[in-house]
Amino acid sequence: MKPEYILQANSLNKCFGRGDALVRAVENVSLEIKRGEMVLIMGPSGSGKTTLLSMLGALLSPTSGQIAIDGTDISAMKAAALAALRAQKLGFVFQAFNLLEALTVEENILFPARLTTAGIQGARGRLDELLQRLGLIARRNALPNTLSGGEKQRVAIARALINQPPIILADEPTGNLDSHKGQEVMMILHDIARDDGCSVLMVTHDPRVEEIADRVLWLEDGALRDRKSEQHSWVIDPVCGMRVDEWTASVTTEYNDKKFVFCSSRCLSRFTAQPAHYIDETMHRVPG
Amino acid sequence: MFYWSLKTLFAEPVRLMVSALAVAVSFILVIFFSAVFEGESEQMIVYLEEMEADVWVMQKGVSNMHMASSMVWDWKADRIAQMPEVKEVAAILYFNGAVKIGGKDWFSYVIGVSPEQPRTGPWAIAQGKAIPGPGEAIIPDVISRLTGVGIGDEITLVDRPLRVVGLSRDTFSMASSIVFVAREDLGDMLDAEEQFSYIMVYAEPGVSAQALAERIKQEIDKINALTSETFIDSDRQLAVQMGAEIVRMMTMIGTLLATLIVAFTAYSLIARKKQELAIARALGFGNGQIYLAALSQSVVVTLLGLLFALLISFTLLAWLPTVVPQVNLAVRLHQFTSIAVVTLPVAILASLSAARTVARLDPMTVFHQ
Repeated sequence: MKPEYILQANSLNKCFGRGDALVRAVENVSLEIKRGEMVLIMGPSGSGKTTLLSMLGALLSPTSGQIAIDGTDISAMKAAALAALRAQKLGFVFQAFNLLEALTVEENILFPARLTTAGIQGARGRLDELLQRLGLIARRNALPNTLSGGEKQRVAIARALINQPPIILADEPTGNLDSHKGQEVMMILHDIARDDGCSVLMVTHDPRVEEIADRVLWLEDGALRDRKSEQHSWVIDPVCGMRVDEWTASVTTEYNDKKFVFCSSRCLSRFTAQPAHYIDETMHRVPG
Repeated sequence: MFYWSLKTLFAEPVRLMVSALAVAVSFILVIFFSAVFEGESEQMIVYLEEMEADVWVMQKGVSNMHMASSMVWDWKADRIAQMPEVKEVAAILYFNGAVKIGGKDWFSYVIGVSPEQPRTGPWAIAQGKAIPGPGEAIIPDVISRLTGVGIGDEITLVDRPLRVVGLSRDTFSMASSIVFVAREDLGDMLDAEEQFSYIMVYAEPGVSAQALAERIKQEIDKINALTSETFIDSDRQLAVQMGAEIVRMMTMIGTLLATLIVAFTAYSLIARKKQELAIARALGFGNGQIYLAALSQSVVVTLLGLLFALLISFTLLAWLPTVVPQVNLAVRLHQFTSIAVVTLPVAILASLSAARTVARLDPMTVFHQ
């Protein structure tokens, strides 16, 4: 019988440096993720979200505490065993897409399949299914530098899913996408959790995802707590007009002594190029 | 990872070609230097080979021609000629020194040839006479081309002016060319009118060269008799000894250069693809697999370099003698096999530079933008 929780962390701590330079990036974090659950980790920049995700993804060893993936305690595992575990149990989706530039879409997706016993040939059927599902059939032989941001992220998601891992770890998957493409990626991840029973643990600043997530965890100063739904401060992204939670947003800027909040860095760069074009005092703040 | 490493390597063909050509240049240096050395070494024994004697007789204690001096009384040649196992003898006077041709000193084997023994003279004539008479000399055609000194011009052997009457082929070497003069002139110059330096002995059919050499040593006092094979080997060994250290050093420099170039290429490739390697590690590839990817890139660059080196070397070695005739080049299979043998160690050594980067790969890099 499979354990109820696909991912469990108990009293996780991660410290960098020593003495006066000691930084507690993650402090006494415990969490449990059920199968098929979509959980968000939110929090201000520098709160330790990525460090926590790295530890949960078996990429970084905790200073203390235990992590169990699919019922297996990974704390004492050697590097080779952790690598094998990542290949079988975890799928990663990154903000920067992280596709391999010399490989085609198809080759990128199949890349982790080499690590399974079935190998690439065994993953061909799954590849076709994912290409179809993510709308990449026509782009299967394209190189990453010819793809749009949304396509790149869909390829990254397909790559994360090729070995059918029970957990997807996503780090700001919409951070480099405009609002439309970001929404599309979020829905794909949501469908994966709902339809495939694959747990999705996502670090994000995008408040729109809250609506489709099962749970939101708030990480601040290295410590985790449940996020209260009333703690929102909604503002409008002056570029795309999307509703953004000022409290959690990390993409902000100041212009003429006023703070502006954006849904993505793409909107910020558009704003920075022509700030006067987007400023509209009446639209800046709306009730939550 | 092997597939990734090859695709990544060939995704930047210009960079790959430049790296492979740089490796090729260092290999070509080794091949070229080795070919020059082999060519010169061969040229140093060309006279001994062309004479096709069975046994060489020389002064006791002497076993070489190169950088050696030998004097044997001429009656000893007559004694040898009377032996029943001997079909024919030919003898030369020999002097190892500089000949001034066209205002420049050319270090030469000066062979004193008797007119009644034409076989001791040049074996291929480009122009003019084949046997020099008194006051005459035959010089290599390459020296003639390089200096402009031709038939009818004067050269100087020590303090003796000689007139060029012939140009010989295949007798030039940067280390020691062959100049033929009359035995009479050389005997007079060396005060050795009744002596020879080397006696070439041609055996009757069916007589073993080794047995004949032993018999001559038994019969004739104060001489050394060596089979042609032993004598040539002895001179070849001397040539190899003289140049071996330089060749070894040049080979080491060339190999080191190739290693450094491959190492730099492997390192820069890995350094530039650090992000992708971190992705591979995050996705579940181990250090060993990633290191093998780096190694395979080094091997491909080195093998391509070797291939280019062979192609370019063959072309150059065929073309160079027509442009630079003074360079004697000899290509032997072992020159290429020795380069091929060092290829794998070069690639492995070079990939060590990337191994450190691989070992220190931080998988957290994947979270950086």
